[in-house]
Amino acid sequence: MAKKKSSQGLNMRGQLKLAPGYLVLATWVSFTFVVLFWVVGASLSTTGDIFRGTIFDFSTGLHFENYSRAWIGSNVSVYFANSLVYAVISCTLLIVLCAPFAYVLVRHRFPGSTLLKTGLAAASGVPIIMVIIPLYMIIARAGLLKDEMTNRIVLITLFVGTKVPYTTIFLQPYFDSVSRAYEEAASIDGCHPIRAFWQIVFPMAQGGLITVTIFNFINIWNEYFLSLLFVNSEKLRPVALGLFSMINGMQFSGDWSGLFASVMIVFAPTFLIYIFLSKYIIGGLTGGVKG
Amino acid sequence: MKRNKTMIAAFALPASILFVAIFVYPVIRTVFMSFFSIQEITDSFSSWVFNGIDNYKSLMGNALYRTSWINLLKIFFLGGVITLGVSLLMAAILKSGVKLKGFWQAVIYMPNIISAVAMATMWIQYVFNSTYGFLHNFFKAIGLESLANIQWLSPDMKFTALLVSYCFGTIGHYMLIWLSGMERISPDIYEASSIDGASKVQQFFYVTMPLLRGIFKTNLTMWAISCSGFFIWSKLFSPITADTSTIVPMIYMYEKLFGAANTDSVTRDAGSAAAIGVMLCIFVVVMFFVVNKTIKDDDIEM
Repeated sequence: MAKKKSSQGLNMRGQLKLAPGYLVLATWVSFTFVVLFWVVGASLSTTGDIFRGTIFDFSTGLHFENYSRAWIGSNVSVYFANSLVYAVISCTLLIVLCAPFAYVLVRHRFPGSTLLKTGLAAASGVPIIMVIIPLYMIIARAGLLKDEMTNRIVLITLFVGTKVPYTTIFLQPYFDSVSRAYEEAASIDGCHPIRAFWQIVFPMAQGGLITVTIFNFINIWNEYFLSLLFVNSEKLRPVALGLFSMINGMQFSGDWSGLFASVMIVFAPTFLIYIFLSKYIIGGLTGGVKG
Repeated sequence: MKRNKTMIAAFALPASILFVAIFVYPVIRTVFMSFFSIQEITDSFSSWVFNGIDNYKSLMGNALYRTSWINLLKIFFLGGVITLGVSLLMAAILKSGVKLKGFWQAVIYMPNIISAVAMATMWIQYVFNSTYGFLHNFFKAIGLESLANIQWLSPDMKFTALLVSYCFGTIGHYMLIWLSGMERISPDIYEASSIDGASKVQQFFYVTMPLLRGIFKTNLTMWAISCSGFFIWSKLFSPITADTSTIVPMIYMYEKLFGAANTDSVTRDAGSAAAIGVMLCIFVVVMFFVVNKTIKDDDIEM
């Protein structure tokens, strides 16, 4: 008993020594919360109240219509649906393409495998602008941006293509850690290696597959640069681009409360993912980097 | 064995083809294009005019382009000191034994998952606003009128505002990487050093820091890569016409490619745009080699 008490006392003193650390963390986190809280408030307030600095009075009640105005009037619903479609399809394709790719790269040596590995690693350091100019040239000359459907396919192909190196590199250690004994057993039982991969090895890399999909989803949801170049019509804009065009239009419309409501709508999906899946996100970042 | 061959082909080919089509071929073609004069991005090959290194020369002779590089280097060096320094400090605090560690790190990392457009909008339209903004009200409340009246989005202050808000958002990411390195250092080393009488601060400088050289290399390389692609934040701080205080090479390239609102300062030219890409790539490669040559970590066992 006495021992426990003294260690508690030590603990208290230890925590007191950490006071400056707590102060830094608390200041940082409070600032983040104040900003978020204010934006939520502004999104439910009126433009007049925002400029008077009285958003939390809510003298005219909560203005949920800011959200419906943004959702329908400012086309945020269209952008939202676009981003969702782009992100879901791209993430699925990335797993279907990169999981088997990462698997054969760690398990087998074949002509060009070393070159591919080096190429993938090098590609993660190549600025995106090194690839977009020729791609734009080819795609625009082929007239693929004139039609809505082909334009969407172009976008998804680019989202997938630019994320192939990252996704493959990320998944390699997960497949590497699966024991070879499973495939050997399956092969003795006469199971084709392709089937053995999808039915046995693939599910065992679940943790990596989920984590990389979360990262890909967030990145594609927030994607801006490729869309800016390759989206040819307002109807195809993803959220980041849509929000940007709204901000530019703000000086004409003057609808600040609507702007903040749009910011909240764009912010919400990745925020919700983060609340529920931050364990994967933080684990994926801290576990995946070699010192 | 034949079955394995089928599998390798079926698994490796689709992704490899996409990789070659979207990375390898365009990179080579961009390098090639940078030696030609190409008026419109959609011009066919027959109308390209070879002009050697003229694209590079005329770019370097352009004052606005040089400014864009100075801004980029300022972001790299100043922003690098801020981001890597503060994130290291935050990681050290989290590692020192504070309670609620998971909560703190989750909140600090959060800006990284938010759309940069939404993040920058919160900063520009709220934090930096001069009538109802956070900084204005905060400094007014504590009686610092001179600080409260700073026009954060004026040409003089815009770059500072851009740098502070950009770094704020990325710090959480680098903090987690530092932290992952710190967690890999054996507790025995800390125990041994505290028996020898080292304080927490001494431990940080004489134990933690030297053992984090590998992570420092990773972070610095990642910082160089993310700086080379600096675009959205600059675009959001000057959305219509590129401002000299916030222009970066990517913005300049975008204007070279598609023309700009201030057309007289930038003429459209896809060849020069390609040359800008090559120069940004060289920047990353040079930084990579400098980092790897100057920081050695191979003699340390973790």
